[in-house]
Amino acid sequence: MQTFLQIIANGLMLGGLFAIVAVGLTLIFGIVKVVNFAHGEFLMVGMYATYLLTTGLGVHPYATAIAVVPILFVLGALTQRFLIQPLMNARDEHIQIFATVGLSTALINLALLLFGADIANTPNYQLRSQVEIGPVRLLQGQLWVFLAAILLVTGLQLFLKRTNIGRAIRATAQNRAAARLMGINDRFVYILTFGIGAACVGLGSALIAPLYPSSPTIGTYFVLIAFVVVVLGGLGSIPGAFFGALLIGLVDALSGFYIGSDLREAVVFGIFLVILILKPSGLFGTRMSLSHVSP
Amino acid sequence: MTETATRPATALERTNRQTLGWAALGLLLAALLVVPIVVGDEFVYHIFITICLFAALSTAWNIVGGYAGQLSLGHAIFYGIGAYAGVILVNMGVSPWFGMFVGAGVAVVAAVVVSYPCFRLHGPFFALATIAFLEVFRVLALHFRDLTGGATGLMIPLKIGWEWMVFRERLPALLIAFGMLLVCLAVAWAIRSRRLGFQLVATRERESAARAAGVATVRVRLIAVSVSAALSAMVGTFHAMYLTYIEPASMFSLQLSIQIAMFALIGGIGTIWGPLLGAVLLVPITEFARGALGAEAIGLHGFVYGLVLMLVVLFMPDGIMGVLSRFSGARKAQDGGDEGHIAAASPSRTPPEIGKPVLKVENLEKHFGGLHVTNDVSFTLREGEILGLIGPNGAGKTTLFNMISGFLAPDGGSVSVLGRDGTWHSPSDPGEYAALGVGRTFQIVQPFAAMSVEENIMVGAFHRFHAVADAREAARQTAHRMGLGRYLEDEASSLTIGGLKRLEVARVMAMEPRVLLLDEVMAGINRADVRRAVDLMLSIRETGVSIIAIEHVMQAVMALSDRVIVLNSGEIIAEGDPKEVVRDPQVIEAYLGKEFADA
Repeated sequence: MQTFLQIIANGLMLGGLFAIVAVGLTLIFGIVKVVNFAHGEFLMVGMYATYLLTTGLGVHPYATAIAVVPILFVLGALTQRFLIQPLMNARDEHIQIFATVGLSTALINLALLLFGADIANTPNYQLRSQVEIGPVRLLQGQLWVFLAAILLVTGLQLFLKRTNIGRAIRATAQNRAAARLMGINDRFVYILTFGIGAACVGLGSALIAPLYPSSPTIGTYFVLIAFVVVVLGGLGSIPGAFFGALLIGLVDALSGFYIGSDLREAVVFGIFLVILILKPSGLFGTRMSLSHVSP
Repeated sequence: MTETATRPATALERTNRQTLGWAALGLLLAALLVVPIVVGDEFVYHIFITICLFAALSTAWNIVGGYAGQLSLGHAIFYGIGAYAGVILVNMGVSPWFGMFVGAGVAVVAAVVVSYPCFRLHGPFFALATIAFLEVFRVLALHFRDLTGGATGLMIPLKIGWEWMVFRERLPALLIAFGMLLVCLAVAWAIRSRRLGFQLVATRERESAARAAGVATVRVRLIAVSVSAALSAMVGTFHAMYLTYIEPASMFSLQLSIQIAMFALIGGIGTIWGPLLGAVLLVPITEFARGALGAEAIGLHGFVYGLVLMLVVLFMPDGIMGVLSRFSGARKAQDGGDEGHIAAASPSRTPPEIGKPVLKVENLEKHFGGLHVTNDVSFTLREGEILGLIGPNGAGKTTLFNMISGFLAPDGGSVSVLGRDGTWHSPSDPGEYAALGVGRTFQIVQPFAAMSVEENIMVGAFHRFHAVADAREAARQTAHRMGLGRYLEDEASSLTIGGLKRLEVARVMAMEPRVLLLDEVMAGINRADVRRAVDLMLSIRETGVSIIAIEHVMQAVMALSDRVIVLNSGEIIAEGDPKEVVRDPQVIEAYLGKEFADA
């Protein structure tokens, strides 16, 4: 029982981590309708930025978020403006995929050039020390990640539902042409959304860097899981991404224990394929996501 | 220069340009073989062997990713299967020349299992699914250590000679790699220039229009992935022998899958020679960076790749081939004297005898949620009859068409079509309808945008003919008849809306249907074109074809129809002679409102 509870707790913590990576991806997916294959590399860039700032300035990794979040926002906004926007009306949607795949390849290899293939450990300031909560033991840092994921999801959801900019963003996602007729600057909305999506992963990277060593390919692992989460939760659905992430975290932890740690990924991707093929709108899917899947 | 003076020259230039293209290609291929032999350097050999292998992989990928438009980022699955099959069998004492066919066989099975469920996914979702499958294969390869050696990988035993594909010198390896490249190019060329290639591209451009033209879209895609997977696996087997060591991380690698696709994109996705050009240009960068700059430049070639990829999608999305064809000059209009006129019908305006029933619709029902879009609709279409289907917007006309062409399954009732064998059939999907001779057009035109007008019509003609030459001839005849003779060589997307509507009809006519369903082919075209379209439909009917036409242009409906059905809110409210139907108060009310009906 004790072990089971520990596994559940680990799964939930992992889920929080996946959520914080996936939330920005689903936002970009849902609003700009672009699959950002470079999202994992945004995380990698953020983690290296956290590492450099933490070791360079000797500050707490969480404090670097003040700088990392804006850096990632700018990176995302630039990506939209100069890479995606010129391709928004491309004849072929493959073109956009190749664009972000190209960005991803370039960023991974740039990191290899700059930092080499070795891992970089961000000082963890006791964040890897254990805390006991009832019958389970967790890392301090994991708890903060989980809490941050809840706050981020709630905050983003309120922003989209309650503010005027949020409404403009949702309107553009639902019908770009109609939104333009209502005086919404759709290009600006897309740039802003891409920036916010990247900023979310920027926040994530400041929180994740003390827990996981940075490496040029760290993003690949996380982004594949994040895609699973995004499809599971329904494209563009922020609460969906959160619950999808928790579910995948649990699946990962449980299958790692009961099936074998080397087959965890096969189980996760197997579930992903089943969902993608049988119910492409996701478990918590919305109608918007459906119309996007089957044109 | 007058037009007549330029025309013969253009045709000549085109032939010259083609000869030039073939010559350049021959030179390029010869260089791949000759340069390393002349230079004789080990490293140069290695670079050219790698170019051949990647060009072969990329060419094989292009059959799926380019022609069929299914963006696979998991092609390393097949490459890896070939590599493992080869090495495992070599360790059991089986020659890789045999092992490569075993690998190809397994890869084909894997390809069908992986692709079939994914065909309903589009664009990024197909790509994501293939990545997920690749991850699953990699994890499984790591897990089943007894078979694959797990993370430690597998070595090949040191048996040297042609029998084992392992050599002390580089030349034999180059010959094998070059041979594989030639095989891949030949297969790709054969597919692209035959019926299968046309059907794949048509499926990629407009799936529903392809299905309406009788293309078995699932079957052609399965053939494409099977061929592509088999070729990739065979290259994988040889590459494993060349590398002498394999492990899951480098065989089932996402990076490799991306590279394969990238070479094709940079060279020109969907073209026959593009992948070759992409590999020739980019592979040397990798190998040079690896070999000459060594550990210091780790990541440099990848960074260049990524950068090149972004620049290509931004500034030359059609790749090198696109740039080449732009420089060699755009295609010019071809000879063909009909000047856009539709051949007039023979003046003998005696309507042929209306024959026996060919299509029966009985008690058809369809609901969309709470909306009753088709309510107990029954009618019969007879041989050589023109049936006008009219009704206000939202009456359910197109829904009815979708049900009598197999695109939508009715909730109740039945559609029966008289087969050529004289018995009644109940087809259930567009392919079966097409096979029975029911052809349809779409209200919103669905041209295959990346194909020429001639090729568009050929897709319909392939329903009857297997050989390209026959289909081309039939397409030309149909095009001239439809007044599209002048535009044969133009891209379909360059036509006007009237031209597109005619193309839509031409594609169906090339199938020689017995029942023709025309969905608003006259909407939005000018008066003169309406007159011609009316003449054309009458001449089609004179060949014994039965027509159901949804039409809003009343002048045409009145002139054409032997009988008219009026649909309103999913129900037939009037049926009969056109002149009487338009006087029916119910019909006037449906169109104009109650006050007009009483007036």
